[in-house]
Amino acid sequence: MFEYAPAVALLPFVSFLIALSVGSYMPKKGAFAGIAATGGSLLLSVWAFVTVSGGEVYNEPDLFTWVAAEELSLSFGILIDPLSAMMLIIVSLVAFLVHVFSLGYMNDEGETGLPRYYAELGLFTFSMLAFVYASNLLMAFMFFELVGLCSYLLIGFWFRTESAASAAKKAFLVTRFGDYFFLIGVIGVIATFGTAQFAGQESFPVLAEHALVDGETEAMTTFLGLGEQAWVTLLGMLVLGGVIGKSAQYPLHTWLPDAMEGPTTVSALIHAATMVAAGVYLVARMYGFYALSPTVLTFIAFVGGFTALFAATMGVIKDDIKRVLAYSTISQYGYMMLGLGAGGFVAGSFHLMNHAFFKALLFLGSGSVIVLMHHEQDMWEMGGLKDKAPATYYTFLAGSLALAGIIPFSGFWSKDEILFEALHYGLGNQPLLLGAYAMGLVAVFFTGFYTFRMVFLTFHGDPRSDTARDPHPVGWSVKVPLVVLGLLATFIGFVNMVPVADLLNMDIEFLHQWLDGPEETVTSVHHYEELVHDAAGFEAADIGPYLPGALSLGLALAGAGLAHMLYNVPDPEPHTEKLGNIRTLLKRNYYQDEYQVWIAEGLTLPVARAANKFDRTVVDGAVNGISRVSLDSGSRLKQVQTGVVTNYAALLTFGLVALLVVVGLYGGWF
Amino acid sequence: MLIETLIAVTFVGSLVTFAAPNRWAGELAFGISALPFVGGLVMYSQFDGSGNALMGGELAFEQSAEWITLGAYSLNWHTGLDGISMPLVVLTTVLTTLAIASAWTPIDERQSQFYGLVLFMEAGLLGVFAALDFFVWFVFWEAVLVPLYLLIGIWGGPRRKYAAIKVFVYTNVASLAMFIGFVALVFNLPIETFDLPTVAQALANDRLQAPGWTSVSALKTGAFVAMFAGFAVKVPVVPFHTWLPDAHVEAPTPVSVLLAGVLLKMGTYALLRFNFTMLADVATQYAEVIAVFAVVSVIYGALLALAQQDLKRIVAYSSVSSMGYVILGLVAYTTYGVGGATFQMISHGLISGLMFMAVGVIYNTTHTRMVTDMSGLADRMPVTVGILIGGAFGYMGLPLMSGFAAEFFVFLGAFRSGTLSGAPVFTAVAMFGIVIVAGYLLFAMQRTLFGPFRLDTDYEVGPAPLHDVAPLFALLLLVIALGVAPDLFFDMIRDAVNQMPLVEADLGGGY
Repeated sequence: MFEYAPAVALLPFVSFLIALSVGSYMPKKGAFAGIAATGGSLLLSVWAFVTVSGGEVYNEPDLFTWVAAEELSLSFGILIDPLSAMMLIIVSLVAFLVHVFSLGYMNDEGETGLPRYYAELGLFTFSMLAFVYASNLLMAFMFFELVGLCSYLLIGFWFRTESAASAAKKAFLVTRFGDYFFLIGVIGVIATFGTAQFAGQESFPVLAEHALVDGETEAMTTFLGLGEQAWVTLLGMLVLGGVIGKSAQYPLHTWLPDAMEGPTTVSALIHAATMVAAGVYLVARMYGFYALSPTVLTFIAFVGGFTALFAATMGVIKDDIKRVLAYSTISQYGYMMLGLGAGGFVAGSFHLMNHAFFKALLFLGSGSVIVLMHHEQDMWEMGGLKDKAPATYYTFLAGSLALAGIIPFSGFWSKDEILFEALHYGLGNQPLLLGAYAMGLVAVFFTGFYTFRMVFLTFHGDPRSDTARDPHPVGWSVKVPLVVLGLLATFIGFVNMVPVADLLNMDIEFLHQWLDGPEETVTSVHHYEELVHDAAGFEAADIGPYLPGALSLGLALAGAGLAHMLYNVPDPEPHTEKLGNIRTLLKRNYYQDEYQVWIAEGLTLPVARAANKFDRTVVDGAVNGISRVSLDSGSRLKQVQTGVVTNYAALLTFGLVALLVVVGLYGGWF
Repeated sequence: MLIETLIAVTFVGSLVTFAAPNRWAGELAFGISALPFVGGLVMYSQFDGSGNALMGGELAFEQSAEWITLGAYSLNWHTGLDGISMPLVVLTTVLTTLAIASAWTPIDERQSQFYGLVLFMEAGLLGVFAALDFFVWFVFWEAVLVPLYLLIGIWGGPRRKYAAIKVFVYTNVASLAMFIGFVALVFNLPIETFDLPTVAQALANDRLQAPGWTSVSALKTGAFVAMFAGFAVKVPVVPFHTWLPDAHVEAPTPVSVLLAGVLLKMGTYALLRFNFTMLADVATQYAEVIAVFAVVSVIYGALLALAQQDLKRIVAYSSVSSMGYVILGLVAYTTYGVGGATFQMISHGLISGLMFMAVGVIYNTTHTRMVTDMSGLADRMPVTVGILIGGAFGYMGLPLMSGFAAEFFVFLGAFRSGTLSGAPVFTAVAMFGIVIVAGYLLFAMQRTLFGPFRLDTDYEVGPAPLHDVAPLFALLLLVIALGVAPDLFFDMIRDAVNQMPLVEADLGGGY
């Protein structure tokens, strides 16, 4: 059934080649090739999904041998289990809709360089799909890096503007810093276990489990004199470096807001389904490994909780609609990290899926707004678009309700489940998780506030500019993706309504069942829950899901209500000056960019210049000095240098003969 | 006889080119260089060697003939290829042909002499990688230096005389050190030949006898240090690297391509053959010291590249960094480490050749290489810039390009090294080079290729001619091919490396 699995990723690669080579001669400059390819990927993904639901899991570790070394061969393989089957659909669906949307957003707006655009989109989709069903950590790393390359190219799509070029560089460099640790982690895993497989009895999470839980320590080699537990923790932390970079978690989140320089369609792809999602997906992919280390789990939860709150506060005062969404992305991925770190594998994966749909929706919606507004992105120039563009408004509203976590939209169910996981393990025996929970809870209020501030400023009130009074119309290719995603953002949360299931005592946690798979394997939820309990030692407190759910819903509504009071008026005021000094702090994003730029330009560059000076004066000076002192070579060589080829050849021959003579004399044969 | 034919054809071709008129010397040399190019590919396809050339493996294309006797010592013609030298021969022929094509635009005087010297150099390089007798090898080794000196000294930039003399003197002093080190070993072995396999195997069998005034281990260590210093200049290893940026900045593009692409590999190749194969016990004894040289070369070289404003200097210094990885891989003494080091020689040859060529194509049109003099070139020469971006990401170690494969092999092999204590720490520190390399290349690209178009020199900028771009594209394809299927070379490399003394084939470290 899975013979066609490689085509899921390869189809967009073909569209990359087509758009790159002949895109400029094609109608719509290669868009149709991309639409056909991602549509094909989507169909094949659905087919794979159906096959998996029929009880088959595909784990082919060696489809293409990269290095066929006897002692340790390295291969590309494909793993399609419930998690990756789900993610394949998410990625190919979002990519497909982004391609369709691009017809209206890029082609109709008279962009140049479209073949390059569609080629890069194709390569991007290919890399992400290959990453998603990679069967081992090395292959995952390789496509993780290619995802980074494509982000670089697409963020810098409008390379003639300096800010785009700078943002592209920053995105690659900051994530590369994280990937440095990831690569050490990959090498460490291979050196430790002799394999980088994700699933199966010979996979590295299982070998680590044997070593830590069953005491079979011969399954792994540790280095630097560390014990097994400490070494697994260290490896987990190293791989996490890549996750923090790609998923824009504190302190490597700084690249993401700048990445807004790319086309809005690209932002939708990066934020919802590809680049940023790759980090969190990786944690879910190798959850069996992370579940072995309570230290790493708690660290993930803390980074997530902190990032969720930290980014949400910055989103509160942004004026650019895309920037608000960018900070919301950072914050939402923080929630996913919080969920995964707090032992909630299903909760984290659930939010990953929901977020993919509502964030793609919000970005494409903001793209529609930007078209309406003739490429104006400042929300203070908008207002009153509600009546002029109802399709955009209602779909955007659905996405916003999901983002803010208002019942019954999708974000509510997953965010609620994440907070519940953190709380019940926190009240159990992991008090540290309570801190992460508290940060996540407070962030709910801010999320509700900034989301509805954005909605009200953009769509409600009176129009505040001429373009807002007379917006540019949008076509079907913009509206259709919005409607599809709007429906998903509204209803997809019903697949895992934990409080409802508890209330009705019915077996309706479909996502949980899905991720558990047809039979228990090492990547089943059931197995992960056992590991979290047995290996990481997490104990859950016996609390019901209603009160925590009501609390977070109340906070979200409070945030939205405050936004309603302040901004849902015909002629809203900024109100930010009331924040005083905090306003400056938030405007400057807590000075995170400043110190990172300082590390690059204020520290590394001067050190490099000093090294260069040292090199030119001391090291090279010594070389030149030695040659002058020892041979007075300068003046003598001047005479040697006649410029006649034969002289040089003669000199060399003479030198060689002289050497032979020396050898001969030393040996005493003459 | 294939090797001899290859060298002879190239040499005769060089003489023919000397005699040809300047007008079509470039085309002629390109045609002539196609012969060894095809020959190299034929040899690659027929390669049937196994094992290590020095440690008694089955050699491909082996040829042996008595030549002269010098006192008790017989000097023989002995050539042959194993899995380490075969890829280097292919690299040499490929890069020379492409470098000749890249010379058509920039070289506009004394063409016949220029191309004649390039072909002469190619013949010498082929000899270096194929020779298995020390004297034959040494003749070729020195023969490479002559054309290099002239190519820089005649067709170079404003300070060409200084750069050429510096290269010449520096590497000749280094050759002397290396020569003394090696000959000291041979004179204290009970053999009457300079045949490299014989020497290597005699050393491996502990047949070295020290003269009365010193011990065997002191003799070995002394010889190791002398040879290491000699080859380290060629590689170059910090602190013996200062000739390199001067040479590159002054050299014309095609010469830089060959200098970075192939000539540096003479140093790493010789280190591998002489120091790390013949004196493996000394190398492992001082593994940590050598690893410090490697790590310093990586980080310090990368920092130097970061401080440069001249595109060519940036690429030149990055070679120092990349060659540091080779040393780290060699000292690891694992299959992946030493094999990865060899693979890195090939990979770096292709990628740095690509980078130098691309910078050269830009220079041909803009007549400047200073980062501060230009911006937004992507707008005017999209194809060249596209390939340059590809090459730069190759240099940064982007997966599915050869640079990633090479560096990954080195890191994996070094991490698991059983002979280098603290190997994971050395590896992790050296790996930070991949962050710095991304930093300086991305900064340079941002400032020169992107942003609004601006050029401070007075030239019209337009797309480069096809014969400038085609070699770049060919190299990019090769880099991707080797990144997707590294076993095209890595397979035979592993086979040759596994027979080296002390190399751990299996998982190093604890297993």
